[in-house]
Amino acid sequence: MSLHIVVCAGIVPDPLQTLEPIAGPNGPALKNEMMLPAVLDPWAASALYEAATLVSKFPGSRLWLVSLGPKAKLQQVMMTIAQKVTFELVAVDSASNGFADASATASALASGIAAIPDLDRTKLLLFGGWESASRGAGVTLQTVGELLGITDQFAGVDQIDMREDGSFEVLERVEGGKHQASVCAGAPAVLGWATGNLPEPHNNPQIGMANMRTVMPALQRAKQAALTNDGQQYLSASLPSQQRQTRVVRDLAPDAIAQELVEWIRTQ
Amino acid sequence: MNRMKETAGSCAPEIERPTLEADIACVGFGPAMGGFLTTLNRAWMANPADPMFESKVAAGLPLQVLCYERADDIAAGVSGVVTAAQGIRGSFPDLNLADISMAAPVTSERILYLLDPIGASRRPLTLRIADRVLRALNGTLGVRDHAYELPWSPRFLHKTGGLVMSIGQFNQWVGTQIMASGLVQIWPGMPVSQPLFAQNFERTGDQVVGIRLTDQGVEKNGEPGAAYVAGIDVRARLTVIGDGPFGSVGRAIDQRMGMPSGHDKREWALGMKFVIELPEETALKAGTVWHTFGYPEPAIFGFLYVHPERLASVGIFVPSWLGDPSRTVYRYLQHYIQHPALWRHLRDGKLRSWGAKSLDESGQHGEPFLVGDGYARIGEGSGSTNMLAGSGVDEAWTTGVQLAEAVLELLRNQRSFTQENLAAIYEARRRASWVEQNARNAINARNGFHLGFVPGIIGMAIAGMTGGTISLGANIPPAHKQIKKKQGKSKDDLTRAEVAKLVVDDGRPLHDAMMSARGWPEIVFDGKLLVSQQDALMLGGKVQAMPGFADHLVFRDAGLCIQCDEKTCIAMCSGQALTSGSGDIPVFEREKCVHCGACIWNCTQITGEGLTNIEFRAGVGGLHSAEN
Amino acid sequence: MMPEAILVLTHTDEAGSSLTKSSLETVTAGKTLADRLETPLVIGILATDSNAAAKSLPGLNARILGVSGEAFEKPQYAADVAACEALCNAAQATVILAPQSSRMARVAAGLAHRISGSIDTHITSIQGDEAIEVTRWLYRQRIEATITRSVRPWILLIEGGVCAAYEGHEGEGELEQVAVELPELRTNVIGTRAPAHSGQTIRPDAKMLFVAGAGWTKKQADGQVHAGEAGELILSFLQKTSASLGSSKSLVDQGGDGQPVLPFLSHMNQVGQTGATPRHPKGLATCCHGEEPHVVGWRFITERRAISLDPNCGWARGKADVVYIADAFKVIAKVNELLALKA
Ligand SMILES: Cc1cc2nc3c(=O)[nH]c(=O)nc-3n(C[C@H](O)[C@H](O)[C@H](O)COP(=O)(O)OP(=O)(O)OC[C@H]3O[C@@H](n4cnc5c(N)ncnc54)[C@H](O)[C@@H]3O)c2cc1C
Ligand SMILES: Cc1cc2nc3c(=O)[nH]c(=O)nc-3n(C[C@H](O)[C@H](O)[C@H](O)COP(=O)(O)OP(=O)(O)OC[C@H]3O[C@@H](n4cnc5c(N)ncnc54)[C@H](O)[C@@H]3O)c2cc1C
Ligand code: SF4
Ligand code: SF4
Repeated sequence: MSLHIVVCAGIVPDPLQTLEPIAGPNGPALKNEMMLPAVLDPWAASALYEAATLVSKFPGSRLWLVSLGPKAKLQQVMMTIAQKVTFELVAVDSASNGFADASATASALASGIAAIPDLDRTKLLLFGGWESASRGAGVTLQTVGELLGITDQFAGVDQIDMREDGSFEVLERVEGGKHQASVCAGAPAVLGWATGNLPEPHNNPQIGMANMRTVMPALQRAKQAALTNDGQQYLSASLPSQQRQTRVVRDLAPDAIAQELVEWIRTQ
Repeated sequence: MNRMKETAGSCAPEIERPTLEADIACVGFGPAMGGFLTTLNRAWMANPADPMFESKVAAGLPLQVLCYERADDIAAGVSGVVTAAQGIRGSFPDLNLADISMAAPVTSERILYLLDPIGASRRPLTLRIADRVLRALNGTLGVRDHAYELPWSPRFLHKTGGLVMSIGQFNQWVGTQIMASGLVQIWPGMPVSQPLFAQNFERTGDQVVGIRLTDQGVEKNGEPGAAYVAGIDVRARLTVIGDGPFGSVGRAIDQRMGMPSGHDKREWALGMKFVIELPEETALKAGTVWHTFGYPEPAIFGFLYVHPERLASVGIFVPSWLGDPSRTVYRYLQHYIQHPALWRHLRDGKLRSWGAKSLDESGQHGEPFLVGDGYARIGEGSGSTNMLAGSGVDEAWTTGVQLAEAVLELLRNQRSFTQENLAAIYEARRRASWVEQNARNAINARNGFHLGFVPGIIGMAIAGMTGGTISLGANIPPAHKQIKKKQGKSKDDLTRAEVAKLVVDDGRPLHDAMMSARGWPEIVFDGKLLVSQQDALMLGGKVQAMPGFADHLVFRDAGLCIQCDEKTCIAMCSGQALTSGSGDIPVFEREKCVHCGACIWNCTQITGEGLTNIEFRAGVGGLHSAEN
Repeated sequence: MMPEAILVLTHTDEAGSSLTKSSLETVTAGKTLADRLETPLVIGILATDSNAAAKSLPGLNARILGVSGEAFEKPQYAADVAACEALCNAAQATVILAPQSSRMARVAAGLAHRISGSIDTHITSIQGDEAIEVTRWLYRQRIEATITRSVRPWILLIEGGVCAAYEGHEGEGELEQVAVELPELRTNVIGTRAPAHSGQTIRPDAKMLFVAGAGWTKKQADGQVHAGEAGELILSFLQKTSASLGSSKSLVDQGGDGQPVLPFLSHMNQVGQTGATPRHPKGLATCCHGEEPHVVGWRFITERRAISLDPNCGWARGKADVVYIADAFKVIAKVNELLALKA
């Protein structure tokens, strides 16, 4: 049995950056967006690592990474990610960010995937993050799945156990900190990953060098995609106020404080 | 924690390591490497089929050029920057500044002598008298906001035609162009742990045959963990070392190969800066450049550079010759920006980012052997930074360009990367260039500071004006000896015990308390521009370190820390990554380290081998700010 | 403008008999919206027996549609999306609300695609005078945006806790069964699994977060460390309040080598930038300085109080609602005493 895994993974600003929305010509944008270092979207990155592990377990399998974003930023992110696991890159050049409409992003991704030569849809596992760290909508991957006609979909996946007959068991996050376990007859299927169980792979320069043979040409080939906004209009985008009006209680005896606290703890 | 360890590598067990063959292996991606790779890449792109660009190690493939950068991103550097950009403009004759975020042409330059409006700085008597005269002649001289603007600025400081930039943005711009060609690979997040030496059979001594990358999947103490991966050995015909002022590869080579006679890296400074968003109605124009001296301590130089879009870089340099072990630079920087001359412009601004990094201020005194068999040194680690002008970026860039030109010539002529060949072209080119000329002018310019602030300033002025022909001689002690072991008696004749009490009562860092005790007013946090040091670490590209790597800071001998009274390493630590902990040995938290390198030259104790007690190895992580 | 018609999609809980709390909250959201726009409200129910589930909606003046069958017992993409599609087609609504539950989140975007609609998720409020304006967060809760859309149907997934759960009294509505054509089902749900929890980690369902900071193990006024006492006070408090236990990095790091200072703490408890970002209605920080890297982990703690000896600590600078400048040892001892009394 072999698999064809396609991982959809966008890029997002390094989560350690300070973000600030500004009004752009086509709705909100991030201040200095092109200046901010970017990383592979964290949940999608776990999907990529899980995919690489699966591919290594089933000889003859293949792994594509489909990534949509501004070309220069994609290139920068690839220098880190290409050191971690082996993949074939499909790059789509687009000025996308968290404010872009998810369904438009999904159609661009779906056409990118449809155009992959040699992709066998009967073996296709479509991976990605269950939500992005930018839009955080959980819409993109499902829509790509629908566009490709895949009706077995899983969201918030933390684990997959692939069986020799091609069927697999998945664990999806559900309420109350629990997992729902399901068995799917096999590919094609969509798996939107949460964190999974794998640590971030080490940076391996040899993997990096091998990937570079395909990554750079893929970036050079990247097609431009303009995203439509599906009637979506932002009325505002703002930072929440961080400051609270703090009441500083200085000269109260511990007993009196305890009294006040217990009342507070007990109020609903 | 990992407190006691033998010196680097000596006790590491020999294990099988994967190897990789390259033609050129490069360490670090700063402006020096930017200059090197841009020049190499450009020649190559012009004629990719030229047989000179065929790899000698991978048959049928083009030249294998691999560059490894320690930080998580090539945009994570820290610098000023104002630069004359002579070399940079040489490489980019059609430079369009709009392509580089935060870059602007220099539009005006001022030099300000800052008086002390608070009365807490340690001014020698001569200076106090001079200050009084200045204040008395206020009307005639135009002292404004406790600052006196020098009527002229010395030529060596002029940056006419120069640029104000962010090093992060500049490096990112340069790196993106290099990588886009697909010929050269730059790998961030990959520290080089050490150079690979081999015996040189043609002569006595060693040659460098490549580099070893850091082990991964190890515990904090370096012991292999469950996911252990031994660092790869990258064997290369030429190793280019551009790892900056305190890179561990450069230092390992200095140790192994020795330094030219009389050379040593003894003078250092910690540069710390804020990137501030100026208030909307600011009067400061992009391209404005201020150099300041005199405050918060006389020996602390400062700067304010204005970028486009109302951003400013504001920072100070705290030098090793400050002497005082209470060197809490963050606190000093907070006092600095509140000096009336600066505060007038900064007051309603917002802190966007913060960063710190050491500068090798020894200049040519600290120049190592520039080349050897199989390797060449470029950038600040090779002694290129000009201390007189406080300028290192363009110098570093230019040394990189010079090496690339030499490498191209050697490739073209099918000659190998021996010491002679590299010396004959690279070193000779460098010696004949403006970089060398300016470095010579600067070589003794700052000696006077070891005699005191006033002789320091006079010496610097003379050296600047006479092109270095006249300068003060000085016997410069090693950095650890520049730290005064005894606290200077302050106004209130403070004893350490009293300060210690303050520390326990307030629960705050010792040296911070010490400054308060000496008369520095408490910093009133406003949550916008004046924030706690930990909060600053969280601003605009925070600090982070990946797990799975060993601690890169190791105390060689715990006993020495126990004896150590000053614990300057803690005072000077930019990230508060070194703290007192509960015992007598400082505690190191890798996740907070910003790799400023200050601890390397701020340890007061010397081991039996004559090394300071902190061993600083190659490590990952650090600041993630792309604006510094 | 075209008049809106509103559909609320709901589903039953694991037991299968009544609607989930988040479904009932969304019913309130739908009812409020319908009342404001003076448009009819339709409820759609996804359940094994939707007739039984409709009993959760007494007195609701709405048309109620339901799909029923074994296929809907457990959440599963192919069946659920087909059911939702059938309900939408039957209701012909322009605005479709559904809870941001794992079940609905799994299918809502697929549904939007099938009914040629658009979708927004994680909605935290619905406003607007005439038009419908919704708010949601982007960039991991760092930017808040207000959005409107012209495309209909428009699906909105409503976050939990945004509205009160619907509570009605008299009268039961008539339920219309809607037929669903199911595709071949290739996925079989085999059950749920609870993760193995160690005793004192962060408990997602607790009403309150209790954070212990490094001050608990620092030298106190008498020059001594009182770690043992600290441990007892903390555990006793947790036991009395069922609070979830969080910690600062400084405190859990102390356990790094050799013996942990407070043995029941591990990195699993760390709250903050490099730790967890738990959600609780209340949080109490003790002996913790309230540095920004720690407090970013408090983003979803609604009411915040702190006890610290330092009046200049971060909590006092706008990070908490109330800060008590006091000795936490004394205060918590008394709190425990009072809690024991009143319990
Ligand atoms: C606050 C401050 C202000 C300054 N202001 C100015 C100014 O206004 N004008 C000016 O011209 N100069 C200024 N300088 C000096 C200037 O920044 C430096 O001289 C210049 O950056 C040196 O360039 P470099 O390429 O030699 O080294 P660096 O810029 O230090 O680059 C070296 C790189 O090597 C990497 N590295 C180190 N060790 C390893 C390893 N083991 N493995 C892999 N990678 C490694 C480092 O992470 C770094 O990215 C300032 C410096 C500071 C700190
Ligand atoms: C990149 C980075 C990431 C970080 N990530 C995190 C993170 O995820 N989580 C985190 O928590 N930290 C994190 N930190 C560390 C953070 O900045 C602080 O250092 C840490 O939160 C401090 O912990 P603390 O407040 O418990 O300890 P301290 O700063 O030591 O404060 C102890 C406090 O206890 C008070 N105190 C002492 N005794 C008493 C008493 N008897 N009664 C009342 N009060 C008392 C003291 O006055 C003091 O305010 C991070 C730092 C960095 C740089
Ligand atoms: S200054 Fe040196 S000897 Fe002293 S505590 Fe720091 S590392 Fe140890
Ligand atoms: S420990 Fe890190 S942050 Fe602290 S002084 Fe050393 S290099 Fe700088």
